[in-house]
Amino acid sequence: MKAGLKLFNNKKLTKNKEIISYKKPKYVYIPLVNQNDTNITPLVKKGDFVKVGSIVGKRKGNLRIPIHSSVSGKVIDFVEKPYLNGQMVKCIQIENDFEETKEKREVKKLHQYTKEEFVHQLKSCGVIGMGGNGFPTYVKYDQDIPLHTLIVNATECEPYITADYVLMMNHIEEILDTMDAIMEINHLDEVILAIKKSNQKLWKMIHNYIGTYLKIKVVFVSDKYGIGWERALVQEAKHVTYDKYPLEKGIVVNNVSTIYAIYQALKYGNALTERIVTFTGEMLKEPQNVVVKVGTPVSEVIESIGGYKRNNDIRFVAGGPMMGHTLPNDELVVSPNLNCVLVLKDWKKVEERPCIRCGKCVSVCPAKLCPVLIKDYQKNKRRLGELKPEKCVECGLCDYICPAGIPLREIIHSVKEGLK
Amino acid sequence: MKQFHVYQGTQIKDSNTSSKMMYHLVLSLLPIILFAWYQRGIVPYMEERTDIIGLFYPLLFLLLPSLITYLMEVLFHIHHPHPFKDAFFNYGFVIGLFLGLILPFQTPVVILIIASLFSSLIGKLIFGGFGCNIFNPALIGYLFVLMSYGAVMSVDVVSSATPLTNFKNLGGIGNYHNLVEPYGNLWNFFFGTIPGTLGETSGLLCILAYFYLCIKKVIKWKIPLIYVGTVFGMTFLIGGYQNLDIWFPIFQVLSGGLLFGAVFMATDPVTSPTTPIGQILYALFLGILTVFFRFGTSYPEGVMFSILIMNLFVFILDQVGSKSRFNFTHAIIPFFLAWTLILGLGVYFGLNVGKEKTDSNFHIISKEKNQNEFSYIVEQKGYAGNIKARIVIQNYSVSSFEVLEQNESYYKRVEKADYIEKLLENQKHLEQVDTISGATKTSTALKNMLIHTLEDYEKEVHS
Ligand code: SF4
Ligand code: SF4
Repeated sequence: MKAGLKLFNNKKLTKNKEIISYKKPKYVYIPLVNQNDTNITPLVKKGDFVKVGSIVGKRKGNLRIPIHSSVSGKVIDFVEKPYLNGQMVKCIQIENDFEETKEKREVKKLHQYTKEEFVHQLKSCGVIGMGGNGFPTYVKYDQDIPLHTLIVNATECEPYITADYVLMMNHIEEILDTMDAIMEINHLDEVILAIKKSNQKLWKMIHNYIGTYLKIKVVFVSDKYGIGWERALVQEAKHVTYDKYPLEKGIVVNNVSTIYAIYQALKYGNALTERIVTFTGEMLKEPQNVVVKVGTPVSEVIESIGGYKRNNDIRFVAGGPMMGHTLPNDELVVSPNLNCVLVLKDWKKVEERPCIRCGKCVSVCPAKLCPVLIKDYQKNKRRLGELKPEKCVECGLCDYICPAGIPLREIIHSVKEGLK
Repeated sequence: MKQFHVYQGTQIKDSNTSSKMMYHLVLSLLPIILFAWYQRGIVPYMEERTDIIGLFYPLLFLLLPSLITYLMEVLFHIHHPHPFKDAFFNYGFVIGLFLGLILPFQTPVVILIIASLFSSLIGKLIFGGFGCNIFNPALIGYLFVLMSYGAVMSVDVVSSATPLTNFKNLGGIGNYHNLVEPYGNLWNFFFGTIPGTLGETSGLLCILAYFYLCIKKVIKWKIPLIYVGTVFGMTFLIGGYQNLDIWFPIFQVLSGGLLFGAVFMATDPVTSPTTPIGQILYALFLGILTVFFRFGTSYPEGVMFSILIMNLFVFILDQVGSKSRFNFTHAIIPFFLAWTLILGLGVYFGLNVGKEKTDSNFHIISKEKNQNEFSYIVEQKGYAGNIKARIVIQNYSVSSFEVLEQNESYYKRVEKADYIEKLLENQKHLEQVDTISGATKTSTALKNMLIHTLEDYEKEVHS
């Protein structure tokens, strides 16, 4: 696997710190969005009382994933807040009564779920991909194709982010147990935990526990950025290539934080209402991993961990430095797929110059695309058919590497949109 | 509410920008420039072979075209807010610098100026400027010079024959004795004390520059490696058929500006493929073409031509390269073609080149053996009709060389220069004897006549 690139990862800012929590926001703003789709029916109205885990909205269309309240209290308003992609989305504002009254769901012992119950539990608890895409997880298991392998992605490629890492350091037993249970429930042959080669500390820790789970295999993958992307990961961990989704080949890929959410759902009937978010970057006084409730205003969390080093000349990024988006303010609220809030020094962006055709964008692309050619042939439909811009995973490596400062990901994204 | 700037793209960036890459490129050229200056300016000055202008002339020879191509670029950007800056960062002066490095050092200043203008205008700006040109601009200038002043340049102006012109003049494949020895040994090729253009002579400096540029991730590293590798492999094969040792492929790699061309000209980012497979194919075909030019045509300096020709195919190679990223079968045919050509041409030239050792312009009319004295009557085509001469050789040494018939227009000049005496004096290293300007054809014919006769003599004595 040649694609991908080693990046300076800067994870040390938060890696070895204790996880802290910020779970007492006065208001939460539950974003009505899933996978960039804002077509969500709100199921509550102003004045309704909700509990932690109550369903407050449901996505329309095929993937009818529910959205839950993360606090108990009263619905007081519907307001617009920025989502992690910069878009404004409708949010349900709920006033926290700090009672933490919980919506009860039936639960069983982990290994005793049937496949149908398992899928149902995942769906009703709103478990979605937490590595950034937000794809409803139950769909991956609710398949006609026989599944045989689960790959748990613990590679956490993005520089700066350590949310998955600290999660594993603290909850490895639960995670391994859940993996084992998923295997049994779905009659899988193989479960793979994929971690990065260089992550020796993690491996040492896992090593102490893995002995009891004979069927779980740990696979070390290359340290390059880009490997965490499904296709590259499946290729490296399983030596399998596929056309559109790994499911075609009977492979499920889940992020480790998603596995932990599955654990919460199966064991306690907890909906996905909290997660660990890495708050990091040179411009934060005290970078930290923080457990936060979905819907918490990010500015409050930042305030609570010490605030910014300075209030201007900073960049505010929702997500990691590669895949994340810069936002014009810090009004962002936590969504289940927000893994990082990164605050960096403001910069003078590399001036855009003519493409020198150095080919670097081609050699780094983990999707095996030729970004420079897609840029050249933007208008040529026939040629685009061969260049397959739709395969772009928007990892940003081409942008990162381009010496001419050309916004390649943006260009490819718009070409992709244009083809639809 | 706080206000932050919003940026597109990634929030961290590789530190290599195009302007940094340009600095690295120029930096890697610096030792080559300094070495050229030392060889062509400082040494002659120290030995009092030249004056103060001659001392600085090599630098002027590089600066002048750089300045011209830079200014052309400025003019091109004149409507931009920062024309000077843009021209600088669009590699404006680099074209001229390369041009100076690849043109024969004796190129008259006027031609140098015209070539620079040509490079800039036809090579680059006409296509829409930086990043849009199909051909390597410096090579366009080079081609222009060769096309319009070819005759002047390649024979008269180059006062001492480069190893490859020498290789060509031999007509056959040659041997260590007549290919390498005239210049000492292969180390001289490696260090660069052989004749050639300013840039191309030192193999060592080119290789060092290659490593530097690879480490700094400035060039497409595959191209020089595979290009030179292909030439090496093919000439190794050819040499093998001709019972020539490993020195032959090494000689081929170290001469004709191959290393300079491979490292600097073939990797020009704008005019080379962007896809890895495209780059590999590009380099393989460059090697094939270069070998073809050297062995199959009368152009000794095939490197620059090969690059220009392959420039034309870049977009096709990129097409193959981009498709075969998803499905390698798209690249099978081109690779198959490349391998076939490499082997086929290698074997073909290996079997055939040496066979036509005789120069078709040369005829032995009669030879007489008298104990160990050979007396030849020979004929060689000159400028106007044939020149006929009697050559007597005794104990490996030419004892007399007498022209019997000739019809040459400028024969006076030959006589005036005592050319025949000169040839006789230097009969052990005839390759190094200069021709006479103004009577090039005639003097070359005389020289070749002697070389061919000596070859025949050697054959006779050995058998
Ligand atoms: S990395 Fe940038 S400059 Fe290089 S080929 Fe790609 S688009 Fe062009
Ligand atoms: S083209 Fe897409 S997948 Fe390839 S490097 Fe760029 S953003 Fe990543």
